[in-house]
Amino acid sequence: MNWELLAVALMAGAANWAFRVLPTLARSDRLTSGGWLERFLAATGPAAISTLFVASIQPLVAPGIGPLLPVVAGTLAVLAVFAVSRSVVAATLAGAVVHGLFVWLAG
Amino acid sequence: MTATRPPFLAGLTASLPIALGYFPIAFSFGVAATRAGFSAVEAFALSLIIYAGASQFLALALLTSGAPVLVSAFTLIAMNLRHVIYGPALMKAAGKEASRRYAWVWAFGLTDEVFGQALGSLARGQRFSEAAMFGLGLGAYGSWLTGTAIGAVAGGGALDGWPAVSAGLGFMLPALFLALLLSILTRRQLPVIVIAASATVLGTLAISATSGILLGMLAGALAGLVKR
Repeated sequence: MNWELLAVALMAGAANWAFRVLPTLARSDRLTSGGWLERFLAATGPAAISTLFVASIQPLVAPGIGPLLPVVAGTLAVLAVFAVSRSVVAATLAGAVVHGLFVWLAG
Repeated sequence: MTATRPPFLAGLTASLPIALGYFPIAFSFGVAATRAGFSAVEAFALSLIIYAGASQFLALALLTSGAPVLVSAFTLIAMNLRHVIYGPALMKAAGKEASRRYAWVWAFGLTDEVFGQALGSLARGQRFSEAAMFGLGLGAYGSWLTGTAIGAVAGGGALDGWPAVSAGLGFMLPALFLALLLSILTRRQLPVIVIAASATVLGTLAISATSGILLGMLAGALAGLVKR
């Protein structure tokens, strides 16, 4: 067992449990009342996901690493399927399938 | 969560679309983990303990790039801070009399999709039940663990002869982040998203990828404090 991995997993897992369970038990209305704490917490999700989208797509669009077409096609597929279905899971799978398809076509 | 079936079974049925979607993502996580040099047991442990898709992929990237343990843990924790509003939002929709006696167990299953599905059921007029929450959560968690285990056992080399499938699975992570971003996109959060993305690009180009991630999250969250 990789102990660094286990330590990170335990810390992240414990935080996940606390983030999901404790506010449910406490039922704090402060978190849904529109105050500064709610604004800060509400912004952490979009900020984190936006950051991670950029960080994960950067290596794919870096010049010389691979053709850009599968990335563009996969991204458009995510946008289109989400617009139609409003489903995160369906849009994710569609993006992966279209990206793979374009890589296959490019041969 | 219908009145005609026992609540647990109704919750389990409601989890089916989530479970079907989770399976291939978890499978690709299992493959990615073994490809990154982790064992099948380690891959399964990440899914069992963290149970948050995007964080788990990120954990692989951070740990294999040699990021320090505390930086990695802080990044994953910051990323999931948004989950703190799920419980109160759900209980607010469930009503004051809703029981949360066993929330210490079922609320661990409040992922983005489970939360969305539960809130959607309540919005459609169905009654809140802890048994249904167990069913909903268990279906999704079970699928996540099974997908990870099968992907990890299949191993990183399983897709060597299938470059297109491998590329598609490799695109699963940016696709997941983009879809999650779209699902939470509001006019109010647009400046947060743009500032976070810009800070990430600048931080990555000027310092390093790990610094870019930290700076992006921090800049975006602080932008959220500005009253609009």
